[in-house]
Amino acid sequence: MPIQVTQDLKKNIENFEELFSDCADIKKRNIKVGQNLERECFIAYIEVAVSNVDWKDSAVGKFLGKLRTMPEEQLVSYVRDNVEDISDSQPFDTIEDAAQGMLAGDVLFFLDGYGKALKIPDKGYPGRGVYETESEKVIRGSNEGFSESIKLNTALIRKRLRSPHVKVKESFAGRRTHTNVDLVYMKDLIHPKMLEEIENRLSEFEIDGALDSGIVEQLTEKRKYSPFPQFQTTQRPDRAAMAILEGRIVLLSDNSPVALILPATYNTFIQTSDDYYSRWEIASFTRALRYLASILAMVFPGLYLAMTNFHTQILPTDLLLSLAAARQGVPFPAMVEVILMEIAFELLREAGVRLPGANGNTIGIVGGLIIGQAAVDANIVSPIVVIVVALTALCSFAIPNEEFATAFRILKFLFIFLCGSMGFFGFLVGFLAVLIHLSHLESFGIPYLAPFVGAELNGYRDERDTFLRLPLDFLKKRPVYTREGARTRLKFKGSREKKL
Amino acid sequence: MFADNWKISLRQIRRLFIMDIFGMSSLMLPGILSSMTGADGIFCLLIGAIAGAVLLWLVGANLKHIKQDYYGYMKETAGQLLGDIFMVFYFLYFVSLCGYVLNQVTMLILTWLLPEGSWTGVSILLLLLGVYGSMRGIEGRARVYEIIFWFLGIPLLVMLFFAIQEVNTSYWTPIVASGGIQLFGGSTAVLIFLLPFTALLFLKPFCKKPEKMVSSAGNALFTVIFLNMLIYLILVGVFGQNTMGILERPIITLMGMVNLPGGFFTRQDVLMTAVWFFTLFALFNTGIFQGTLILKELCQQSENRWILVAVATAAFFIGKGFYQYSFLTEVFEIYQSQVALPGMFFILVVLLFLHWMKTSRNVQRGGNT
Repeated sequence: MPIQVTQDLKKNIENFEELFSDCADIKKRNIKVGQNLERECFIAYIEVAVSNVDWKDSAVGKFLGKLRTMPEEQLVSYVRDNVEDISDSQPFDTIEDAAQGMLAGDVLFFLDGYGKALKIPDKGYPGRGVYETESEKVIRGSNEGFSESIKLNTALIRKRLRSPHVKVKESFAGRRTHTNVDLVYMKDLIHPKMLEEIENRLSEFEIDGALDSGIVEQLTEKRKYSPFPQFQTTQRPDRAAMAILEGRIVLLSDNSPVALILPATYNTFIQTSDDYYSRWEIASFTRALRYLASILAMVFPGLYLAMTNFHTQILPTDLLLSLAAARQGVPFPAMVEVILMEIAFELLREAGVRLPGANGNTIGIVGGLIIGQAAVDANIVSPIVVIVVALTALCSFAIPNEEFATAFRILKFLFIFLCGSMGFFGFLVGFLAVLIHLSHLESFGIPYLAPFVGAELNGYRDERDTFLRLPLDFLKKRPVYTREGARTRLKFKGSREKKL
Repeated sequence: MFADNWKISLRQIRRLFIMDIFGMSSLMLPGILSSMTGADGIFCLLIGAIAGAVLLWLVGANLKHIKQDYYGYMKETAGQLLGDIFMVFYFLYFVSLCGYVLNQVTMLILTWLLPEGSWTGVSILLLLLGVYGSMRGIEGRARVYEIIFWFLGIPLLVMLFFAIQEVNTSYWTPIVASGGIQLFGGSTAVLIFLLPFTALLFLKPFCKKPEKMVSSAGNALFTVIFLNMLIYLILVGVFGQNTMGILERPIITLMGMVNLPGGFFTRQDVLMTAVWFFTLFALFNTGIFQGTLILKELCQQSENRWILVAVATAAFFIGKGFYQYSFLTEVFEIYQSQVALPGMFFILVVLLFLHWMKTSRNVQRGGNT
């Protein structure tokens, strides 16, 4: 049963103290206000979240200063009539709600004779500020990245989309963490059912803590056993803004610099933001390379095994002889050799990620150059396998999204097993199984392989932005994620309109 | 929301049928036609295509009268008993075809890719894939072939383009040397390979634009016949009529002989087997899907997944039968030409006739009242 805020300040303080007993980080102060300093008020805040050093310049300081100049009998009416509506302040009727308001990083204010608690905004929790993204690097375009503060992240999107149609729907996840989860979208572009669907999925679970968007992602995904992510992740506000312009929804979670974008398809995972900032020729070339990389990252070691173990007749004799010469003296079967090298590579990668900055780079050099060379010299592995594993790793790095690349890294082992034991037939079986799986997969009603499949939904126009990114003149319509009737993205005016 | 797992587009229908029909026909027809009619096989393909167009016309004429599904239409037009008999006939056709194709694709794998593999192991793997592919509705299945279409089509066309250089046009003669019976036999063989088009009758509830289904299938028919004619001319031109009749799968042999510029790959037949693996698998999967669909309707068990397992198991044992007893293949060929082919035409004509009778009787009654 929630405890109501009353006009009796002592009772309110008592209830509040009871709720926050043994909380040394929460500062509570009784202050006298009014011309004669005869009326008592109470403020509470989290120590670091409020600018307690320089009260005078903060909103709270100015507010308290004003209260000290007013006659005591006017204080309550002044607070009720003026302060409730200003800025981001918010009145609460219960102690529990008021406590949640304070835990969001603001100051809580109680006044004797005033039957509500007031949340007054201040600087909030400490954060990193806006930094460059560590992943999703681009050659051209903004380098701003999301941070851990959800308010900052929504502001970064707003900065790019200055339209009243951009809506931010707030909800909370985590019974104990009470984490802000915001859905950001363009109201006139999204399919209302998609918004309804994600809201339903968010309301379908209750967890004690949602410390990162990754937890929300896993709890709202439909196909949990698929290695492929059904949400696109990004740390780039421009990527998120671009998705919103396509009629997609961005999900931001407090304390997480990673935004989730829905729906997601194979094609959207391969796209990068600078695909649209660069000229179409280079954008198309790199896009096609990334598609190729995504497939090779999964099948290359497997195909090597199939060719060398089962179907040597495909390769020219010279190449075959050099492959055989390179393997001479290696004690392991080719499949074991590839698995060993792949595991070694994954270990290096994991170690590189966990070690701090400069040391992480050293691991790459130690692993790649020293251990690799030593393993070849000691005849533990053949140089060809080192090349195969290195090329596969390059391919997986070329995939712009880490979660998506991980799916291919995992499936690579399946292909190694299938091709190592059944040759090219194993490859065909694995490829068909992955294809069937991807064909069955959907993200919020959109086929995962769209627009290669189901392109008729948008008059086959979405196919202009797949393997190749056609010139922007051809991309006049938004993709299928946008609601029908709102798909015009680009119009030409004047003489250009007639030309086209 | 957007994707509907039980509705497919016209492009998906077109590509699905191209994959279904192309695999078996390009793999087997050249050998059959060459041994029966020599260079005149090209005319058999043409005549067979015309007969296929007639079959499609009959399918289209019946499709117009189907209100909900084909089974309902058959019961309404021919009565419950005949409707059930016709459904059993279709079920037997698709399940036996499924078993036959399973054996063909397994043998293809064992011959070209995995000579030391076991028939049972390979076919069970294919069966599991088939069941997985059919599990989530027709759209999931159609998407696979929609996306894979150009992945297979482009390499095939490139290979055929380079194979043209090897053609010796003198092998195309003598022409018009076969008798009417041979031509009839060859054309019948072509038509038999086009019978899976009758699956269209069952697809009306699953198509987004059912009124254009037949033209989509017609497009597929044209593409398949064009490709088969091209392949036939190339094969006859490369191998000659006599050699071709001996080769088991001449098209795959051809793929191994084509010299690609640059000469990096010396034998492409292994890689090109992928085309026939995927296309045969498509037909096999169609057999499983159609068999399951028909059995579900007959048993009135629309949600029962065990029916899918039962059909797959039946296909496995039929396929195993074809593998172990070669006379069964001959029986199947007789069944195809003397039961399935006339049966398909018979059912379609009878249904049209009965529907016409019923309609004219109703019009008469309406006029009398």
